Amino acid sequence: MAQIIVYGIITGAFYGLAAVGLSLVFGVMRHMNIAHGSFLMIGGFAAYWLFHLLKLDPFVSIPLVMVILFAIGAALYKGLFSRLDKLPEGLKINNSMLVGFGLTWVIDNLAILFWTSDVRAVTPSYTGKVWHVLPGLRIPVVGLVVIGIASLVIFSLYLILTRTYFGKSVRATAQDRDAGNLMGINVERTYLIFFALSAALAGIAGVVAAVNYSVYPTVGFEWLLKAIIILVLAGFGKIGPVFAAGLLLGVIEGVSVYFVGATYREVVGLVIFILVLLRRST
Amino acid sequence: MLEIEQIDVYRGDIQILWSVSLTAEDGKITALLGSNAAGKTTLLMTISGLIKPLRGRIRLEGHQIDKQPVHKIVELGVSMVPEGRRLFPEMSVFENLELGAFTRKARETKDQMIEEVFGIFPILKARKVQMAGTLSGGEQQMVAIARALMSQPKLLLIDELSLGLAPLIMQHISETIKQINITRGLAIFIVEQNVFMTLEMADYGYILENGRIVGEGEAKKLLQSEEVKNAYLGIGEV
Amino acid sequence: MEYSKRGFVISGIAILLLILFPLVAGTQHTLNLFIVLFITVILAQSWNILGGYAGQISLGNAAFFGVGALSFHFLAWRGGLPLYLALPAGGVTAVILASLIGIPALRLKGVYFAIGSLAFAEALRITVGNLFPLTVYIPTAQIVSYGLLPRYYLALMVAVITQVVAYCMIKSKIGLAMMAIRDDSEAADTSGVHLFKYKFVALVFSSFFSGLAGGIFAYYQDSIVPAFLFTPQWTFEPLVAAAVGGAGTLLGPMIGSVFLIILTELFALTLGKAYLIIFGAIFIFVVLFFPGGLIEASERIRKSIFG
Repeated sequence: MAQIIVYGIITGAFYGLAAVGLSLVFGVMRHMNIAHGSFLMIGGFAAYWLFHLLKLDPFVSIPLVMVILFAIGAALYKGLFSRLDKLPEGLKINNSMLVGFGLTWVIDNLAILFWTSDVRAVTPSYTGKVWHVLPGLRIPVVGLVVIGIASLVIFSLYLILTRTYFGKSVRATAQDRDAGNLMGINVERTYLIFFALSAALAGIAGVVAAVNYSVYPTVGFEWLLKAIIILVLAGFGKIGPVFAAGLLLGVIEGVSVYFVGATYREVVGLVIFILVLLRRST
Repeated sequence: MLEIEQIDVYRGDIQILWSVSLTAEDGKITALLGSNAAGKTTLLMTISGLIKPLRGRIRLEGHQIDKQPVHKIVELGVSMVPEGRRLFPEMSVFENLELGAFTRKARETKDQMIEEVFGIFPILKARKVQMAGTLSGGEQQMVAIARALMSQPKLLLIDELSLGLAPLIMQHISETIKQINITRGLAIFIVEQNVFMTLEMADYGYILENGRIVGEGEAKKLLQSEEVKNAYLGIGEV
Repeated sequence: MEYSKRGFVISGIAILLLILFPLVAGTQHTLNLFIVLFITVILAQSWNILGGYAGQISLGNAAFFGVGALSFHFLAWRGGLPLYLALPAGGVTAVILASLIGIPALRLKGVYFAIGSLAFAEALRITVGNLFPLTVYIPTAQIVSYGLLPRYYLALMVAVITQVVAYCMIKSKIGLAMMAIRDDSEAADTSGVHLFKYKFVALVFSSFFSGLAGGIFAYYQDSIVPAFLFTPQWTFEPLVAAAVGGAGTLLGPMIGSVFLIILTELFALTLGKAYLIIFGAIFIFVVLFFPGGLIEASERIRKSIFG
């Protein structure tokens, strides 16, 4: 059982990584970026190609992947999402979902076009290595790295949001956009950078996915599914609850799969999801 | 300091301000009076850049600012205490003040300015780490003013100081503002419904009705004018 | 858009033409094309009632489609239920499932329903894929007697019914309430419009007809991979059709579907799957710059020509 929980924690850490960018962007800017899953996919493929063409270790390539995704995110925000900024909130959320949805199709199918639908995975030399902590308790080395990365990301995000002027300006504009402007904050530029940052975060999660699982052009939707479940569990805009919800989901999934079998893995997530929705609506 | 030339301002399709012109002198407190919905807040929002005028010009120290984005106008030295305070409710008093010093220039003197505003409003020092949203109305007003001062502005815009504040607190704050004006020579443009208190504080005043300037003059003279007395002082004295 | 006598006459003529078409000029290829078109129109209008009129964006219509198709398959092909029972049963199943997610999610802010429906469809896709990994076929008896014509007319009939029901609903009090909710849900709420009731009505319409569309598809296709029924494509293409044609109008979904089918025909040979990229790009363009779709565009053109 402890073994299952360990795997659940590793999965959960990944889920948190996948969801945090989406959560932050919605909490701050009220854009529901459905294309977030596609950003993850791009990150995974970037890691794959960097590994196969340049023999770059995937985890080492994370900074580079972040830069790539940052640029893509910034370009997409500037070109598309920023045009929704002036809309009233309800319309802005709706339209951002539609734009994100359309974007997913464009990106995913471009990926199919360029890279084919084949499933890819990144398998560095240490993939199979396992750390035998106790008899009956093994932790895959890759899993440890994942947890390490997730922790690093949480910590860094926390520092950025509470200790830097940029982070404070992000939190401030999320609470009152006009007042933010009146402080001299260039709100549009802040949003741009923040959105690009969330894309970079998706990129990190994508690298992890490529190593720990696999990537193919349409995988984005599946990861998006997990991210959505976590968003509903944890709410938008706060980092801590997102990772906690991720861990919770990962562990619960792992434990229930043990009892009912892998076929019903998604059902577990869905049931949790509906239960939480029910709870929130009463 | 501030020159507004014949601006027409619309909110959506509706015209709010009609050919408004006024001047705020350097180092003086200029008041804009008028009843509710006369367009006073719209005027302030236009000066700060949140709304753009359809026609006319606004100049700050000779530079045209009516087409600039809000954050640029702030960098040029305009700071606003908005209607309803508009603090960042889930951030502490200290963080709100820090954000007041967001511009590059202001960050350099941030620590010094924080000490200064704590000197002006000692109670804020005690409430340093408290969430801004949990403060009383008067304390919030002080934070809002302090926050606006953090960027060491050349022109301070104040929108509806008196809203929701007890008279005693109001008195204290308006005296403090007068002090700030005297000690720093800071130009202040204040928009108010409370005519009496504002004219006591101000040097010069304008009267806005239905989006048009219908009167102006030295504050002392306005206080004594018959029209103002009849129209406003009955309402103004709470 | 106001429907005048002229509108009725034109619709009547169009329907007549569609009825006569297969007998006069129908080829295998065109009949197949039309069936797909009719299914798309049904799905597009379903999305449109919920998203374009009631303002409740759904990103998971594939779930209702898939459920309708699967139910039909099991009830009709495996269970032996006659067509006229199995098809509505598929619709009803879809409604039941839609309520499962809709009843909690509609009470919350719109975004919850949208991403919830998306999550719902995805989870169903993966689960169905795990439970029924193998391709399912229509029974051999059906293959032997397979005819495109009955399927064509069935699809046409359901498409027309969809339009008629949509029209009646929109023109009634229900439609007014929905549009009030879409335009300003707070204002609607305070003026006594029962938000949940009308959103739910829209959801029932949307899921029922999407389920019917699924059933038609199961009737039409000779073999299906069950998980394929739930792929996001079944949500996306009708969505694009409705948006490009003009969300929030009655004709929009139809015009958009025709437009899309024509485009697909044009691109199928040269681009294959990549036509989705073009759809996506057009869709984003419409959402950002032309929210009223083709209908709005044609209105503008008409106004600028005729003043």
